Amino acid sequence: MEYYSPTDLNEAYSLLDKYGEDAIPIAGSTFYMGHREELFDEVEAVINIKQLGLSYIRQDDHGLRIGATTTLNEIFAHELTSKGTFGILAETVKELNINEVRNMATIGGEVCIAGEVDMPTTLLAYDANIVIGGSKGVREMSMADFHIGYLNNALEPGEMVLEVHIPQPPANTGAGFAKFERTAADLPIVNVATRISLDNAGACAEARVVAGAATLSGVPERSAAAEAALLNKVIDDTLIETAAVASGDIECIHDFRMSAEIRSLWVKCGIEDALQRAVAAVQ
Amino acid sequence: MNAINLKINNEHYDVSVKPHWSLAYVIREKVGLTGTKTGCEMGTCGSCTLLLDGKPVFSCLRMAIDAQGCDIRTIEGVEEDNNGELHPLQEAFIQDHGMQCGFCTPGMIIAAKHLLEHNPDPTEREVREAIGGHLCRCGTYIRIVRSILNAAETMRNAQAGQ
Repeated sequence: MEYYSPTDLNEAYSLLDKYGEDAIPIAGSTFYMGHREELFDEVEAVINIKQLGLSYIRQDDHGLRIGATTTLNEIFAHELTSKGTFGILAETVKELNINEVRNMATIGGEVCIAGEVDMPTTLLAYDANIVIGGSKGVREMSMADFHIGYLNNALEPGEMVLEVHIPQPPANTGAGFAKFERTAADLPIVNVATRISLDNAGACAEARVVAGAATLSGVPERSAAAEAALLNKVIDDTLIETAAVASGDIECIHDFRMSAEIRSLWVKCGIEDALQRAVAAVQ
Repeated sequence: MNAINLKINNEHYDVSVKPHWSLAYVIREKVGLTGTKTGCEMGTCGSCTLLLDGKPVFSCLRMAIDAQGCDIRTIEGVEEDNNGELHPLQEAFIQDHGMQCGFCTPGMIIAAKHLLEHNPDPTEREVREAIGGHLCRCGTYIRIVRSILNAAETMRNAQAGQ
């Protein structure tokens, strides 16, 4: 096994091209090191991408841009992501109650894994795009297209995630995040993110209701029924309950962590909770 | 094998490592500093916690080769930071018996040290959040939290007395 720590993107791309599927780009290394026994035979080259200048959080006319190697604690502390329009990102990080992992794990890693992690659920609720780079150029892809299954994404050999781009949401937007887990150090059993945008009359103009970690597909999913229940209506407690019940269209997975029935129930509870928070947070 | 140099508690160590070797393994088995414990070796127990450039991390999830050039502080360096005497946290863990078997203690003390450096007067909840990623299989949490809170008070009083 070879180890590389390239200092510019072209160097990183040529290494990714050379090793193809046998290369793993790493930054926080929490996933790779946590699975090193299983991955040992599959990985020929470990490419450390921390020296590529991909740790940043900045805002431009198109929204928020977070570099792939930005750690969760950097997101938790940054003024752009800890309050205001994108404050939900820090709230999502806060639910992972392991300071040591938050100091290491990166947003790029969470996006690529997309299994039992929290950030992709919130990012899907914000219609985030993933900026992908490779020697053939840079392309941008929606979160929904990027995730194609449990621990599986749309990256081609030779490509890596450069940045997460979150479009500026409309005015009068609020968001909420809710999570169920066994202990602070355990993976989420269910996580839920909601975002609502209100029109001038106070009715719901845009709604996102997303559940992650619990889905049969292995990746975060939007509930079309719950979103439809909210659209064009003034949101009150009764409507929140109706939307939560409608989220039964998300099919949950049955595994050693929890049965599908309980997961479905928790998705409903989480959505109710996250919608309440979203309504309270509208600004 | 890759030859690297690690700076641990202000000492430099030359070691040869493989890319997938964890920092925890190298510090214990190659450098010989066994104060850092390895429990689960998959990032769920917290016993291998150390400070890397001042931030607590799980050293079992960090590649040793990726710790080159970093300032590493282990439990062995905690006394050094306190002029060679037991740190108030260590005193408090002894005084309040913040342990049974002691296996989780180095990780707990490192996490608590980082907390108190940034928040000298934490609430009980803040202490519990700071050790959120640390398991104590003896279940001594109540005494651990008490030890950290008492150490915080001792450190505040010492600061005020200066």
